[in-house]
Amino acid sequence: MRFSSIKRHTALTTAAVMLSLAGSAVHAETPSWCGPKKATIAFLDGFGGNSWRLITTASAKEEAQKCPSITDYQYADGQGNTQKAISDIKSMAAKGTDALVVFGDAGPAVLPALTSVFKAGKVVVPYRVEVGGEAGKNYTQFIGASFKNDGVNWGNWIKSILPNGGNLLFLSGPAGNSQGKDELEGLKSVLGPEYKFINPAPFDVTNWDPALTQQVLTAEIAKNPKIDVIVSDFGPSLVGALPLFKKSGRSIPALATSDGNILGCFWTENNKDNPDFKLFTVATGNDNARLAVQWAVAKATGGETPKEEIFKAPNFENSVSGKPHPVECRKDLPGDIYLSAEMSPEDQTKAINK
Amino acid sequence: MKSTGDQMGAEAFAQQGFHIPLTREFLTVLLTTSALIVLCRLFAPSSIAYGTLAGSLPFAAILIIVGLGQMLVVQQGGFDLSVAGGVSLAVVISTHVPAGDSANLLPAVLLAVCCAAGAGILNGVLVGFVRLNAIVATIGMNALIYGGVFAVSGGIPRTTTALLAAIAGGDTWGIGNSVYFAIAILLVVTLVLKKTVVGRRFEAIGANPRAARAVGLRVRLHQMMAYVYAQLLYCIAGLLLAGITSQPTAFQGDSLLLPSVAVVVLGGTSLTGGRGFPVSTAIAAFFLNQLSQFALAVGVPYSAQTIIQALALGFGIAVYSFR
Repeated sequence: MRFSSIKRHTALTTAAVMLSLAGSAVHAETPSWCGPKKATIAFLDGFGGNSWRLITTASAKEEAQKCPSITDYQYADGQGNTQKAISDIKSMAAKGTDALVVFGDAGPAVLPALTSVFKAGKVVVPYRVEVGGEAGKNYTQFIGASFKNDGVNWGNWIKSILPNGGNLLFLSGPAGNSQGKDELEGLKSVLGPEYKFINPAPFDVTNWDPALTQQVLTAEIAKNPKIDVIVSDFGPSLVGALPLFKKSGRSIPALATSDGNILGCFWTENNKDNPDFKLFTVATGNDNARLAVQWAVAKATGGETPKEEIFKAPNFENSVSGKPHPVECRKDLPGDIYLSAEMSPEDQTKAINK
Repeated sequence: MKSTGDQMGAEAFAQQGFHIPLTREFLTVLLTTSALIVLCRLFAPSSIAYGTLAGSLPFAAILIIVGLGQMLVVQQGGFDLSVAGGVSLAVVISTHVPAGDSANLLPAVLLAVCCAAGAGILNGVLVGFVRLNAIVATIGMNALIYGGVFAVSGGIPRTTTALLAAIAGGDTWGIGNSVYFAIAILLVVTLVLKKTVVGRRFEAIGANPRAARAVGLRVRLHQMMAYVYAQLLYCIAGLLLAGITSQPTAFQGDSLLLPSVAVVVLGGTSLTGGRGFPVSTAIAAFFLNQLSQFALAVGVPYSAQTIIQALALGFGIAVYSFR
């Protein structure tokens, strides 16, 4: 290659880069949490193997890209393996990444790694799963999710449709999971004794497994002739189980849960034949990651930190009032996307089809 | 010479075939299950109501099919720990490959069957010909199959196609279609095992491989085929499971490993190999399934549910030990 040709190429490339930079600068106004200092960021997932996580990861990346000061974005998947999650945290820091957003699925087990990285001067933002420790000592900031808030929202809706009390069935994930406990606390803070929980305390264990959910619901339907509301923190896993009501010759009852395209479409197809089937959802919470990224970027680039430290999932669908949204269904897109998320449904489809 | 040997082997075991329905194993599992039904009637009548049975029998059907696969392997003195992988692979292939389009279901099913046959042959060659320990070989194979599961799905669940949901999850005369699949498979396995030459040889080899070899039976081939049959059955179970649960996870087979061995043991098949008891295995699968419905219907806490199931299983096994 001749020198002049190299020069020409370089000039062209530079021009292209300049143009695209100028273009993006015109399109996106820099958010307040994005400071002037250049920094690199890494998103460390404890377990990346489901569509919810893929969309969450893609959302985090989309959020980080809003800030032009972020020069590099890295991702690592702990694959549900605590040791790998810990080594991911350490190796990202060793590579010189400035800010780490950590989905600490392993809980306090990752705290020592977070602490050592934080002490080495990195910005460390664990989120959604409690890892113990405290902000400023073990990590920069913890961005929690308020599951209690979800319980309160469900409880308020239940009160609005059943003012005189009724029978509630509450389903959550593995035995003793803290998310289910927090949600129950929220529910109970709103609902009085006239609302009776007919499941074994604190909740029916489903492991968030659709097959087990189906078996559990089968037993509950047969045992309880009157179920007024089902509360579940993983709505989409109920879709295979709800037709069981039809088998028993009953209407599907009201459902307070989290959103998912498959669930919205199921409601759209079945609400006419099931007069009692009202639906209320809170956002599944993919955007929790966005708040965590905002914090990490703000701290690393010298931007303004967001006001919220806890992500409160907003209400999403309400089939009774249509507020904030009526039930949504995108039949043309996969069932495994979340219309409540900020990311566009089409981009979500791309994220899970990767 | 070889054909004479085969005949001798078949004749030697032919007599037992006519007593199958009245074996002690069959009676034991039948009595235990009847006792459970009485208990259900007394303490948790809702667990044997029509709605419950309609909802839970499809899962019993899955367990029957998986249990029969495991039984065939156990009959050859082996163990197949690649159940979880086999079932999960069929689930993800039948949901991810068509990606919601029912027109692509048939190619996906054929692909799943081919993969199952491939995994079975590999298992079989490793155990039957290379003489690896069955537990080691099938654990390795399970990891390999899970590699396939991740390659196909990336670990992500997918919604079932409408066609598969209608075939596997649908009803005929008020009973889930998967139950008919299980009954048909049970009939085929029983008839082939008990009434055909191939089946008789298969049992003879399981009971005493050395004697079988001495009379000229192709021991290694039959041992290998046990793993192939097993994988094909896991594949069918996986396809049905994908249809029954509308959004199956990529790890749907995981919870089937232990029950698959439990039903074989409860059904009376010796872990050292030999005769198989398909009908007893099927009843044992119904028993295990009904037991969890009983525990759920009684409404005890989750911890107690697990304990009840473990106790019943221990009791079931003890019955065989003390007879």
